[in-house]
Amino acid sequence: MGGYHIHRMIQDLLRDSAAAAQFAVDPADTFARYGVTSEEAGLLESLSIEGMSALQVHPNLQMKYLRLRSLPGAAGKPKRGPLDAYLSRLIED
Amino acid sequence: MGNIVGAFGMSHVMFDPEGVEQQAERVLQGLLALREELRVLSPDLLVLAGGDHFNNFNLALQVPFAIGLSHTFKTLGDGGVPISEFAGNRAFADGFSRFAACANFDLARAEEIVVDHGMAFPKLVLDPRHAIPTVPLYVNTAMPLPPAPRRCFTLGETLRRYVREERPEDERVVVVGLGGLSHWLRVAEEGLIAEDFDRAFLGLMTTGRAAEFATTHSADDVIAASGNGGVEALSWLVAVGAAGDRGGKVLFYEPIPAWITGMAAASFYCQQVGG
Repeated sequence: MGGYHIHRMIQDLLRDSAAAAQFAVDPADTFARYGVTSEEAGLLESLSIEGMSALQVHPNLQMKYLRLRSLPGAAGKPKRGPLDAYLSRLIED
Repeated sequence: MGNIVGAFGMSHVMFDPEGVEQQAERVLQGLLALREELRVLSPDLLVLAGGDHFNNFNLALQVPFAIGLSHTFKTLGDGGVPISEFAGNRAFADGFSRFAACANFDLARAEEIVVDHGMAFPKLVLDPRHAIPTVPLYVNTAMPLPPAPRRCFTLGETLRRYVREERPEDERVVVVGLGGLSHWLRVAEEGLIAEDFDRAFLGLMTTGRAAEFATTHSADDVIAASGNGGVEALSWLVAVGAAGDRGGKVLFYEPIPAWITGMAAASFYCQQVGG
């Protein structure tokens, strides 16, 4: 369980915006294409450190997976960017 | 001959200040003080030594050290840093890769780097108008098998020799090591901050004992003590090695649990040729 096929899937999605958009809506086809088993998919979709670590998913690619699974246009107020509070004091014209 | 006229180490992120306003302000003030120190040095060139976050290099081909050769670099726009473009220095980068190859360092030569927040945020802090040509020097601290601390320190020493022996008369170079300090990401220990380790590390870096640290610690030691993210501090050893390990001063240290990391910056003393 776990292995490079999961890393390859995440890395490929990061370089293919169309595939990433499809994956965000429905990952099943992508899982099948990369040979991700249903058990592996369940652990991935838990989005938990425990589940993804059990698959030995690289920590940085775990974070990128979370981003890939965040649906575009989700409800709620827009999140403030990490630097928004500082940019006016950091940028010089 | 050129001169390393300044060297620094600094964290390469900031996060939202909500709930940690005072600490965030101290971090910002510390970084702005670093900017001012750099401005006084009036460098002709910046070398940013730091890591990539799976945006240019990934598990398909894992590169220990790499240098950006391009005339210009674009930033990725991640980490809240606006997309922008800045000048590189092909002659410097090409020359260093050739010099390093004769000094036991085979740097991967990268032509298509898109700089992510790991360097784009420091660039925004250090040189917001993009007035100083900047060469990215990548140190793998994200993928398995980071380089040994000793190698990072020696790479910095090699950079200093290159600037002295190969670069034009009076060229002024500043080297900045980027990342850290302690943090654990997406592992069971996430949220811990190794404040004792961070303070000890800063102490060694600023008292002329970076070589001691580099020769008595493996990368695995650093990861065990300061986390899978804390190993980014290996990049600081490049800067201290370039400075000559002559000590320095801590500009700030703030352990911020809400940001799950120890934030820091330091300035390292340099001995200039003829100085």
